[in-house]
Amino acid sequence: MLRNLLNRFKSVPSCGFHTSPCLNEVQLLTRLRVVDNSEIGKRAMAEGKPPKIICVYNKKRIGYIGDRVMVAIKGQKKKGILVGLKQTQNVKVPKFDSNNVVLIDDNGTPLGTRIHVPIPTILRTILKEKTHAKGADYTKLLSIATRFV
Amino acid sequence: MASSNLKLLCTLLSRIRVENVTIKRNLYQPPKYRPPHWYMPKERVLTDDMVTQDNRDFIDEVRQDKLNLQTAMESPLSKIEPQETVQWNPTTRRVGLIARKIGNYPLWTKSGKKVQTTLLQVVDNHVIKYIPPEEYTPAKDYKPKKVGKYRLGCMLVGSETIDPTTVTKDYCGIFSSVGMLPKRHLCRFHVSPNAQLPTGTPLFATHFRVGDYLDIRAKTIDRGFQGVMKRWGFKGMPASHGVTKTHRRPGNIGAGGEKARVWPGTKMPGHMGNRWRILRGVKILRINTKHNVLWTLGVGIPGETGAMCYLFDTVLPLKKLQTPPPFPTHPPAEDLPLEYYDESIHLFEQPSITFEET
Amino acid sequence: MSLVMRKSPIEYFNAAKWIIRRECRYLSNLPEVAENSEVVEDKPPKGRKPRFLNPTLQYRHVYPEFLPDPNPKFRNSLREKLERADMLKRRSQVDIPEFYVGTILAVTIADPHAQGKTNKFVGICIERKGCGLRAEFTLRNVIDHQGIEVRYELYDPTIQNIQVLRLEKRLDDKLFYLRDALPEYCTFPIDMDPEILPEGSPVPVNTVQVKLKPRPWLERWERQELKGVSNIEEHLKEKDRVRRELRKTPWEKFDLMKDYRKTIPIEDQTEIWGEVYNQLQQMRVSRKKMSKQRTFTAPKTQLG
Repeated sequence: MLRNLLNRFKSVPSCGFHTSPCLNEVQLLTRLRVVDNSEIGKRAMAEGKPPKIICVYNKKRIGYIGDRVMVAIKGQKKKGILVGLKQTQNVKVPKFDSNNVVLIDDNGTPLGTRIHVPIPTILRTILKEKTHAKGADYTKLLSIATRFV
Repeated sequence: MASSNLKLLCTLLSRIRVENVTIKRNLYQPPKYRPPHWYMPKERVLTDDMVTQDNRDFIDEVRQDKLNLQTAMESPLSKIEPQETVQWNPTTRRVGLIARKIGNYPLWTKSGKKVQTTLLQVVDNHVIKYIPPEEYTPAKDYKPKKVGKYRLGCMLVGSETIDPTTVTKDYCGIFSSVGMLPKRHLCRFHVSPNAQLPTGTPLFATHFRVGDYLDIRAKTIDRGFQGVMKRWGFKGMPASHGVTKTHRRPGNIGAGGEKARVWPGTKMPGHMGNRWRILRGVKILRINTKHNVLWTLGVGIPGETGAMCYLFDTVLPLKKLQTPPPFPTHPPAEDLPLEYYDESIHLFEQPSITFEET
Repeated sequence: MSLVMRKSPIEYFNAAKWIIRRECRYLSNLPEVAENSEVVEDKPPKGRKPRFLNPTLQYRHVYPEFLPDPNPKFRNSLREKLERADMLKRRSQVDIPEFYVGTILAVTIADPHAQGKTNKFVGICIERKGCGLRAEFTLRNVIDHQGIEVRYELYDPTIQNIQVLRLEKRLDDKLFYLRDALPEYCTFPIDMDPEILPEGSPVPVNTVQVKLKPRPWLERWERQELKGVSNIEEHLKEKDRVRRELRKTPWEKFDLMKDYRKTIPIEDQTEIWGEVYNQLQQMRVSRKKMSKQRTFTAPKTQLG
């Protein structure tokens, strides 16, 4: 009986749905992991309600490393910077097992005082380029990092 | 009276002579496309000619002798003294080269950035013939703009010597008339009259310099008959939601009313690839003088690995040659360095890149 | 395998011939079939040392990137030759050691973004791919409870140093399942000390079997016939087992054509290894000398 079933299955060609591996892109409604020790971030992660992206601030609306995002966290809107991605990265840029975010306020000052996971070194250059003289200063984030890879 | 009048008329008429008749319409119409004289059928049906082994050996011997003669032939450029060579100016056009695309591999710049390069090998290039502008009458649509002042001649360049017995007699005749062995590839380049070269001049990769820009003409990869999604990048139609039998089809191709027909140029399925395309402004990063290989920046050169392409100096105004290149071509020299590198490229035999603290 | 049962010398000879032929057929740039080589090494025919007639057999696993892409679309003998010459030039500048998937490496690169302009990463090699100058490898480590993977190009001139910390192989060709395994299986201290193997010993195979985290997984590991995973059956449902049976392709190991398309024939390989053998051998010898000096000097500094 089972063998009959197996045989019948074998004759069927492979199914029509999409089988290529996923890109793990960071886009609207992606869940992130807060990696700093800000109060709101810690509580959200402890409750098992990680923040959701509601906007990625670039033209493509797909977040890459160092991009600014707006997240919905515990019923509030907060801004954050992507500091580690699951997606396949360029050579010599680390790929992380989770999508990490560090929460900041409008001036670029981080809400927490420490980041407890490693930060890619390429962020130094990216954040320096993004910082303008009059706008927000994102390089403050680098000073609270504990380790670079 | 009447009869005399008639006689007078007759004599008058007889005096009339038709001297020249001009017919307005020209009876001779040139054919729309007339291939140049060097477009000869090359392929020959190889037959067993019932030749005895002795004769076959003799043919081989003669062929080998001819080949030896040609390889031993000195470049005609070496006889010309350097004073006689004409000066290059930005309006002159030099001859190009025929190269084979042999693959891609990365190089690294001195700043540690990886760049992909395409390798082009210049195989056994020789000048076959120069046709001066007065004798050069191309098929159609070639109206020299400034007669006398700016007219280009035509240079035939061949690459890869082949066995004369494998090609047709007509094709062989092009080469034997100038005393060369037949080549597998034959190509024409438009050149300025002062950039002409004598028959039999070998051309090398050093004809170009590192850092110059090239235009590369080649045939794109032949993909056969393709649908609109592959050929023109159409989006197709959804895979589900009630769509049947139209997943990869073009959909609508036009409107009704005045335009109730297929407009010319509508993107449709058809043969894709195998067309001549030119990639302009390709930078040379590295040259190997021993194997005559050029490393060019980028992977956009048309054709697959092993395809032939024609290289010539770029016509892009900002990337044109600034300083005089080897003119009319680089003479054969023994004591060249093995490799030339662009100054931005990191050499593999140099120590690893380090960055300085600022 | 069958050598033990056979007795007469003629049969030994036949068996040896059979093994050699088999070995030749499998000459490939693919990762080594473990059982194949072990049989030859463990039970050699009487009175003969297990020696390699050809450096091909030895080097195709140590330097897999010297073999070109078998796809005939990309083959060209001159390009491959130039590429190999460039690879050797780069190898003369930086010491690229012998390593395999499963080896623990420390890679130091020059990094314009980092503070001291150098960056060091320690991790287990989970993948090796690409041929020629395009060769790449991926390292994985868990730092501060965060899994991190970094991909490096083998011939990148910004690489300052590649150090083998623990030379070993694993049971599988690709260790992507470490992403779904418990973090202790790929946690390595950043300041790990190199372990020196006694000279002449074969590369040890680490037979550790990792434990996977419960589902969801990144891939369907149950369909990949992994040897280095112990608890895969625990997490499966009846449905998955049925699907696995349906998706099995047991005929593929008999597919000679597929094998042929994935491999470089022996004639080409002998040519390639003949070209690079001498230089690679010289580099090996000089590296051995260097490592000896290092081992001797290390205690002296401690004494002083």
